[in-house]
Amino acid sequence: MKIIILGAGQVGSSVAANLSSEASDITIVDSDAERLQTLQDSLDVRTVLGQASHPETLRQAGAEDADMILAVTSSDETNMVACQVAYTLFHTPTKIARVRAGAYLASPELFTQEAIPVDVLISPEQAVTRYVQRLIENPGALQVLDFAGGKVQLVAVKAFYGGPLVGHELRELRTHMPSVETRVAAIFRRGNPIHPEGNTVIEVDDEVFFIAAKRDIRAVMSELRRLDNPIKRIILAGGGNIGSSLAKVLEDDYQVKLIDHNPAHARTIAEGLDKTIVLSGDAADEALLLEENIENTDVFCAVTNDDEVNILSALLAKRLGARKVMALINRAAYVDLVEAGDIDIAISPHQAMIGSLLAHVRRGDVVVVHSLRRGAAEAIEAVAHGDPGSSKVVGRAIEDIKLPRGTTIGAIVRGDNVMIAHHDTVVEAEDHVILFLVDKKRIQEVEQLFQVGITFM
Amino acid sequence: MQIADCILPERIVCGASTGSKKRGLELLSGLLSEGEEQLSSVVVFESLLARERLGGTGVGHGVAIPHGRMKNIDHAVGAFLQLEKGVDFDAIDNRPVDLLFALIVPEQSTGEHLKLLAQLAQMFSDEKLRDALRQAQSCSEIHQLLTQWNPPPSQGNTASQG
Repeated sequence: MKIIILGAGQVGSSVAANLSSEASDITIVDSDAERLQTLQDSLDVRTVLGQASHPETLRQAGAEDADMILAVTSSDETNMVACQVAYTLFHTPTKIARVRAGAYLASPELFTQEAIPVDVLISPEQAVTRYVQRLIENPGALQVLDFAGGKVQLVAVKAFYGGPLVGHELRELRTHMPSVETRVAAIFRRGNPIHPEGNTVIEVDDEVFFIAAKRDIRAVMSELRRLDNPIKRIILAGGGNIGSSLAKVLEDDYQVKLIDHNPAHARTIAEGLDKTIVLSGDAADEALLLEENIENTDVFCAVTNDDEVNILSALLAKRLGARKVMALINRAAYVDLVEAGDIDIAISPHQAMIGSLLAHVRRGDVVVVHSLRRGAAEAIEAVAHGDPGSSKVVGRAIEDIKLPRGTTIGAIVRGDNVMIAHHDTVVEAEDHVILFLVDKKRIQEVEQLFQVGITFM
Repeated sequence: MQIADCILPERIVCGASTGSKKRGLELLSGLLSEGEEQLSSVVVFESLLARERLGGTGVGHGVAIPHGRMKNIDHAVGAFLQLEKGVDFDAIDNRPVDLLFALIVPEQSTGEHLKLLAQLAQMFSDEKLRDALRQAQSCSEIHQLLTQWNPPPSQGNTASQG
């Protein structure tokens, strides 16, 4: 697949790194020669220097042949114009743009073929907001990912002493909870995947990925660890796009305080929020945190645009007694550094967002991709099409589908029905199938399974 | 319906130099919509792309059979491209594609159209024909090859031997 990435900033370069390992043909455009040089030194990509939205630049970057353009410069306007140019002059099949300003996003009718032809809008801020929101709704989970519009969720959880299933075989789940359907998709033990079977015994510290309908998530989690007390009090550090949108989605159900260092900005966001208490001050100021009762805070979540501030304020909050701390971290190296320490959850915006791009790179009708374990594993939702003649999955029972090693089918969503996968469940056309791959390298085999054969009209 | 009924010499390009799958499909869309007033090449292109997304039509041995359903037509229309140099097409054998037969059929396509598609697949599994198509120097030569092809007498094991 030929892909042009506009903008060699953080998003552009991390996407390039992620996709260049997928045998894609990538060209990156930026107006900063130094940035391009750095990228070219580390990745196998072509670079073009120029103004990203100019027709000539796009032509030079190979727009006539490109299957996809990904506009992620720091300017919303450049990104939107680039998509328009690509559509009008080059008929580029897939156009993806990052648009951050709520002022544009508020009018979705802008982004249509007749207006601004953007096929897919991405917003790292929205992705992070949703990611954190799911974690807060499910205390104790390391990761909560949506499929089929949220009907099904994949949850990562660490097994702890006190969970009734810990020390027992997986198959006992059924006797513990006869009315709850779930499927353990993968288990990582000391970092290595083990294939979950009925007689697999769950050990303390196992990282368990399970799939269940949204309503059953809590019940399954309670099998693996003593449930955390529900979250009540939350402090957010940083009132940028992420901080303020988080406050907005959380303030109705939780007591939310938001700290921003800029008094004028703090006043502006306070006007847009109904219940959140907005404070102006330094999130890494011990006195301020103590004054705001940090020791009785359930979640402290640092989402300023500065990695160091996020890490330090989260560490401080933890030391001062916050129950759980999260930090937004852009730099991949910092994520590794921090996860071994006191910070409970490091949030990587790229990890949260990359899936929405991968869904368009995957062959076959793939609607959702979640990149897991720093890109090593992947969970996908693919739609089965065709008939037993033209499809390798339709009309077959799950046990008869030739899945690559380390791949499990967790659930099938048929219309509004969530069906947890059993060995004898038969896949029908238009089913949404949710799969987990412990090794992303097998993705090509999964893509091949879900692609329709030549005789599909 | 036979292959010969849906391919005209005007819809054949010999020795095209396109650098990519996308350009190849664009070119085919242009050929398919030419002379069919009710069709716009953009719409045809989108239809071919949509089908391509569900599963690539690169059937191997350098051949692709992109196809799609179209409103506003009442008969199947074909077009053919012989490329100077093969392009990456995400084909099942990962080999570059240099022979492309595109087919559009009415929205309410019938078993007949499916048969046509199967016929095309069978035709391109004939190695002799593929070689001849690659050697051909003109549209009329290609047209002749496509319209006069007959399945080799011994069916069944022709696909791999040829």
